[in-house]
Amino acid sequence: MKTVFIPYNQAYKDRILTLFDNLNIRGFTLWETVQGRGSRRGEPHYGDHAWPTLNSAFLTVVPDEKVDNLLARLHEMDAATEAQGLHAFVWNCEKMV
Amino acid sequence: MSLYSSAVKRPIFTALVFVGVAIIGLFSYTRLAVDLFPDIETNMLSVIIAYPGASASDIETNITRPLENSLNSCENLKEITSQSKDNMSIVSLEFNYGTNIDIATNDVRDKIDMVKSSLPDGISTPIIFKFSMDMIPVSIYSATATESVNGLYKILDEKVANPLNRVTGVGAVTVSGAPQRQVQVNVNPERLESYNLTVEQIAQVIAAENLNVPAGSFDIGTETYSLRVEGEFKASEQLLGIVVGSQQGRNIYLKDVATLNDTIETRVMESYTDGVKGALVVIQKQSGANTVSIAKDVKKIIPELQKTLPPDIKLTLLMDSSDFIQQSIDSLTETILLAAIFVMFVVMFFLGRWRATIIIILTIPISLIASFIYLMAVGSSLNIISLSSLTIAIGLVVDDAIVVLENITKHIERGSTPKEAAVYATNEVGVAVIASTLTIIAVFFPMTMATGLAGVMFGELGWTVTIMIVVSLICALSLTPMLSSQMLRLTNTQGRFFDRIHAPIKVFLNKLDATYAKMVNLCVRNRWKTLIACFGLFLLIMIPASQLIKVDFMPASDNSFITANVYLPTGTRMEVARATALKIDSLVREKCGDVFRTLSFSVGQADEDNTMAALQSNASNLISFRIRCVDPEYRDVSIYDVGDEMRNIMENMPEIYKYSVSPGGSGGMMGQGASTVDVEIYGFDLATTDRIAAEMKQRLGEVKGLRDLFISRQDYRQEYQIDFDREKLAENGLNSATAANFVRNRINGSYISTYREEGDEYDIVVRYDEVYRQSLQAIEDITVYNAAGAAIRVKELGKIVERQTLPQIDRQNRERIVKVSGSLYKAALSDVVDGVNNVIDEMRAEGKIPTEIGIQIGGSLEDQQDTNADLGLLMLLCVLLVYIVMAAQFESLTYPFIIILSLTFGVAGVMLALMITGQPVSLMSMVGMVMLIGIVVKNGIVFIDYANLNRERGMSIDHAVIAAGRSRLRPILMTTATTVLGMIPMAIPRGTGSEMWQPMGVAVVGGLTLSTLLTLLYVPALYSIFGANGVKRTRKKLKKAKLKA
Repeated sequence: MKTVFIPYNQAYKDRILTLFDNLNIRGFTLWETVQGRGSRRGEPHYGDHAWPTLNSAFLTVVPDEKVDNLLARLHEMDAATEAQGLHAFVWNCEKMV
Repeated sequence: MSLYSSAVKRPIFTALVFVGVAIIGLFSYTRLAVDLFPDIETNMLSVIIAYPGASASDIETNITRPLENSLNSCENLKEITSQSKDNMSIVSLEFNYGTNIDIATNDVRDKIDMVKSSLPDGISTPIIFKFSMDMIPVSIYSATATESVNGLYKILDEKVANPLNRVTGVGAVTVSGAPQRQVQVNVNPERLESYNLTVEQIAQVIAAENLNVPAGSFDIGTETYSLRVEGEFKASEQLLGIVVGSQQGRNIYLKDVATLNDTIETRVMESYTDGVKGALVVIQKQSGANTVSIAKDVKKIIPELQKTLPPDIKLTLLMDSSDFIQQSIDSLTETILLAAIFVMFVVMFFLGRWRATIIIILTIPISLIASFIYLMAVGSSLNIISLSSLTIAIGLVVDDAIVVLENITKHIERGSTPKEAAVYATNEVGVAVIASTLTIIAVFFPMTMATGLAGVMFGELGWTVTIMIVVSLICALSLTPMLSSQMLRLTNTQGRFFDRIHAPIKVFLNKLDATYAKMVNLCVRNRWKTLIACFGLFLLIMIPASQLIKVDFMPASDNSFITANVYLPTGTRMEVARATALKIDSLVREKCGDVFRTLSFSVGQADEDNTMAALQSNASNLISFRIRCVDPEYRDVSIYDVGDEMRNIMENMPEIYKYSVSPGGSGGMMGQGASTVDVEIYGFDLATTDRIAAEMKQRLGEVKGLRDLFISRQDYRQEYQIDFDREKLAENGLNSATAANFVRNRINGSYISTYREEGDEYDIVVRYDEVYRQSLQAIEDITVYNAAGAAIRVKELGKIVERQTLPQIDRQNRERIVKVSGSLYKAALSDVVDGVNNVIDEMRAEGKIPTEIGIQIGGSLEDQQDTNADLGLLMLLCVLLVYIVMAAQFESLTYPFIIILSLTFGVAGVMLALMITGQPVSLMSMVGMVMLIGIVVKNGIVFIDYANLNRERGMSIDHAVIAAGRSRLRPILMTTATTVLGMIPMAIPRGTGSEMWQPMGVAVVGGLTLSTLLTLLYVPALYSIFGANGVKRTRKKLKKAKLKA
């Protein structure tokens, strides 16, 4: 089991949800508004006057075999519209009840 | 959930809400009345009291003055004027605008009751007369007749007035100028004396014979019958057969002492239309009814009525107030359409996307239609004010949608799907859009609170624009994102054909951006020089402007209507006046007959018992002309030129004593007709004020731009008076009243009974035959009988003397007044007022005006001063409100200051535009300036907002300004262009009535153009100055803190 954390520009929300459905990923947690900025080029997403855009974040725990496919599809999405901003971080999920 | 996200999520619901609004709006539109102005409640009341037999000066002392003193304490009273004329006192009260006239009427009634006991006993019941705009006739028809002249009144009354009265909305139809039937008993005084009879006896006998008396009821057997005596004459000839007395056992019949003449009244007003004698049918509307639809209905029904009339009677339209209204409204509707088309092209030009253009343009019809719902709800109408508000708003309502759509497009370009972009992009700019809309509302909303004449005119403008702007804001936050989510596509092409056309525009716009960025760079590097250059330009415009530009009140417009009053020497017989009138008629027709549609005039004195006529001036020596010209587009001379021509003609006619020609009708208020200047001379002594007025008139004649000078005081009238010797009267057992009554009954006649025929009543008048009423000798020979029955001649009781009397005394604010008034011609009010003041000063310096005489300037100037004060206050209020809104938005006191400075350039732009078009500063251009306060600051807000954003994103001040310039140039140019182009159809003179709002269009176009151009230069410079100072201050503070540490 792997934990995937996906902070993304709000505008991706519907597309990522569809992706989850396609990949048969059922469970997730969603933070509707989070703030942040990219480590390399990305613009800040603060939801204020200067940087009005905002991020959301999904956290989902998926079986190991689904991770690569998910990341590949997310990367594809990000590459198509780079200016929006999307990242995915994966780490181990130790236990779960 | 926010407005825009729910709108995007429920497109059908959103669309249908707006469709619903559109349907209700269109329904309201079909129900809206069409009128010239919003409903203006009357602010005038007149109190009319008749006191038969009293002269003007008696009336003044006994009735007018006590009445004035009592009425003066009414609340909200602005001015009190009065006319004391023979037999009648008219006190007119003008209240402040916005006063509830019903309450005022009650107040006036109470005040009259209080003073009534101290008024003379013989007065009539006071009439409180409310004058309102509704009383201005909707249309006037003239009826000309040849053979049927004698029966004209009855025919018109039955066949025209009655059917017209049944038309919905028609209030009153009056027939004037048609003589009514009258049964005249003309007695021969010689025979009368020989039979020892008097006129009074004959009148009483006629009254006693001409009577139906119910004699009660009585029973015969089982039935009850009523008993009646029917003495009324069945035919007028029966009168001749009545017994008026007896002598030596023989009956004396009426035919023995008098002749009977069943004819028409002798002294009446006559009216001629296009040279043919006839009558006037005046149609007035019920209060609140739709003028245009009444006039339309009346026009429809007239040809049918014409068929029922005898063939020699012709009905012609003389005046139709709906014409001007309809034409003004039509040309405004055209202006609105043109404005909408211009705005559409601008959006297309800048955006280069047709889908986006459609989305933005949709806000125009929706906010327009929403304003109809408002107009319907408050019971207003489609009028000049409401329609010009629509024109003003067209350029403004698209602004919000443009900002929202621009941001959505940006998001789509960055990769969002249209649906997501619509929600998040609207969220980003929502607050900014609301704030910039608030600045506009901050200007238009205070207009609704304006008082006075300005309040009446601009209250509706304020509400309409405010409502449209609010609707457009709602539209921009719901409909625009919804439509964007549905219609926008992620493509850069718009079809091959369109791309080809738009490609050069795109290149041009990109170049413009780059060039402007370079210019901003230059400005920022030479901050102070830029500022000096901008304000130098401001001074360069303002200094000549303060010299060249004139001040005026209301632009005069051409409504194709001319009135003229011509006075012949006082006392001229009506027949002479008629001949002169016909002569003028033919001369005028010869000169400029091709521009006339109808030319009519009336001469003579109206009935004494006509209240309406008492308010208008009429006399046997007065000719009133009423001319209707063809529409302006079918003639190349204006009504003012025609007026000049008429003046020339009358100037060369020695028989004319004085005249006044008023193109556009009298007045000067509300943009119809020329402005007037009145010099009011207050003083009790009639001779002194007469002298001053005469001299004033002569000197004012030399003031340029002033003409049609007119002295308000009527001329002294030549009259004969019988001075009875009181001792002789007493010796003969008579008094003045009985003696006077005897004379009156013989000359004026005794109207004691009426003759009835087919339900109509006609006066029976008994008096001396005309040949015994034509010389002083005849009057001296009138016999007066005392109680003992002895006959005494008038010449034995007193003598007849010739005297001059003043037929009317005018008062204003409880003092006697003479007004010397003139109307303006091709000159600005300010110039003329200066000229008039010079004349007054000169006369004062020469010692020609005693100290007890007060002199004031009134007329349009007074209205102007009142309105200017209101507008000045309004402007101040607007500037403050706009500043507050901006300060709140920027959370700063300096940035709003930078933006408010752009107003100075707005003013300069207005002045420049007025100078170029050669117009004076008028009420309408002032309104344009007030509107500019809200519109001009928008550009500054957009610019500074973006510069701030760039700084928050970490740019240096200079970079932030340059980047803001590059990015914001297009939105600024676009919103400015929509407003300016939306106003251009208004600023160009086209069609009927456009003179009125043209100055407003010119002011907005000029002010906005110049201020936008200069804003684009001085704002970057000033922003970087303030910004640099701010940075310096922070650095200093840091240094100090470091030193302390």
